[in-house]
Amino acid sequence: MTYFSVIYLLIFLPVVALIYNILPQKHRWKLLLLASFTFFFSISKGLIVYAIGSTFLIHYIGIWLENVQEERNRVLKEAEKENKKKIRADYLKKQRRILTFGVLANVGVLLVVKYTGFFGENINSLLETMKVSFRLHIPKILMPIGISFYTLQAVSYIVDVYHEKIKADKNLARLSLYLTFFPQIMEGPICRYSETAMQLWEGNKITYESLKSGLLRISYGMIKKMIIADRLNKFIGEIYTHYGKYDGGIMVVGMVLYTLQLYMDFSGTMDMVIGTSEIFGVKLPENFKQPFFSKNISEFWTRWHITLGAFFRDYIFYPLSLSEPLKKLTTNARKKIGKYYGPLIASAIALFCVWFCNGLWHGAAWTFIFFGMYHFVLILSGKIFEPAVLWLSTKLHINREKAWYKGLQIIKTTLLVFIGELFFRATSVKAGFEMLGKMFTNFTLNSFKDGTILKLGMDLPDFIIIAIFTVIVFIISIMHEKDISIRKEISKKNIVIRWTFYYLIIFAIIIFGAYGLNYEVVQPMYANF
Amino acid sequence: MEKLIEILEEIEDGVDYENCTTLIDDHYLDSLAIISLVAELEDEFDIVIPTVEIIPDNFNSAKAMWEMITRLQEEG
Repeated sequence: MTYFSVIYLLIFLPVVALIYNILPQKHRWKLLLLASFTFFFSISKGLIVYAIGSTFLIHYIGIWLENVQEERNRVLKEAEKENKKKIRADYLKKQRRILTFGVLANVGVLLVVKYTGFFGENINSLLETMKVSFRLHIPKILMPIGISFYTLQAVSYIVDVYHEKIKADKNLARLSLYLTFFPQIMEGPICRYSETAMQLWEGNKITYESLKSGLLRISYGMIKKMIIADRLNKFIGEIYTHYGKYDGGIMVVGMVLYTLQLYMDFSGTMDMVIGTSEIFGVKLPENFKQPFFSKNISEFWTRWHITLGAFFRDYIFYPLSLSEPLKKLTTNARKKIGKYYGPLIASAIALFCVWFCNGLWHGAAWTFIFFGMYHFVLILSGKIFEPAVLWLSTKLHINREKAWYKGLQIIKTTLLVFIGELFFRATSVKAGFEMLGKMFTNFTLNSFKDGTILKLGMDLPDFIIIAIFTVIVFIISIMHEKDISIRKEISKKNIVIRWTFYYLIIFAIIIFGAYGLNYEVVQPMYANF
Repeated sequence: MEKLIEILEEIEDGVDYENCTTLIDDHYLDSLAIISLVAELEDEFDIVIPTVEIIPDNFNSAKAMWEMITRLQEEG
């Protein structure tokens, strides 16, 4: 059962919503928790113990941290002024030890489950190269659904308790619901405890407005996922698997359309997730904000998979950049190489860690690590050359606020994103370079002229449907960029226009959705990460 | 406050720091700029800005930054 399966959309979700509204408000959270466990179990069966184990662990760690904080406060109240600094430092050390244990235990499970095979295989390859006969035995470990997502939520919870941003939750069930809420368990968004835990617990009634608004958002997600992304699946699979057979022209199309597929798949699933939550009166954080209007890669990552970027920023980048050793480095570097480049050294170290983790988080493969490093280099070089670009644009009297300049920045960023996603999808880093190389050394339009392009899993009507719906999504994105909500605009119209619009969406999904005999069921792409 | 505006202008020029209340939300200051800013503020105002203070609410406007600075100065 996945979010776009018939059983989920036509049975699971309606039944849960119906019972939810019949139940008294104080019991609704129980249904959401039961539904979450049922959903999890239907996909990962017994591996649900990982999520339950993680819940127990962070529940205990949270309470432990809070007990230490309360004890510290009691001791501080009675202490002499001159002793207070030492008491604070002692208790901070104690808290740090608990936090480290909690983070390592959670991340450790993720590392073992997700990366044992990858590291084992690489060590064995190294041993082979060194002509050592010994080989590591690599156990096959099954990965539960959503572990990459709920582990980050678990870590954010205990770090926030450590920083006293939130109080430890004594209620195990509420914590469990926060970690495993079924609409978000497969692909996020990665939520903070302060954002969602209480909303999930409240059990707000499903109203006509929340139902209508949620269903519209779900429909938009279905258009992106089922009409565009899933239709592209076979075509993209063929190009990336057998890239050696095709010319540079096909490589360019494959590169552009894979980025389109990934965006439509992931952001479409997010529409589904956020829309479903909206039905239950739960507002989840947005994960996409028109990423293809970004003027640089740094901005792109504040608009694409926003909650992952925010997690790495808040829990890795800032703590590392502002740690004592890096602060000292910043202070010294500022004196020696100036106010601009000085802080950049510490930032670069933290940024490297962020992008290494980001790459590895996406999967246990060198392509993902390369993907992370590619973005690290782009963001860092953007910062290094920023003063030079500013100087040059001033010298050439270029107004950087002009629309044409911003347009060029957007095109440049989009091209860089295309290349990054090419490596993300490529079967290996070498394959990625070969595909990219073909675009320059073997670029022809022959595959378009002789009709090869229409034999790779999509015919002309498929291309036309994708083009039309991509234009529709693009127009909607422009409206969102201008803060215009289509749902609000439609709700202001009279009943005839409203229902014509609703029927158009329903029929578009039924008629143009990529399902049936010629299509395979496509799992949401980020569910594998 | 004037000194703060001066520091901000040095880090990212061409922003209306007196009135802008979305410095983080609208990407005028990215995370690398924040690290430079924190180093400058700590140096200039003799404060220590802990990680827990690095939240959009404290950096979205010059006013919010100023409030954070004075609070951290008072806390010593």
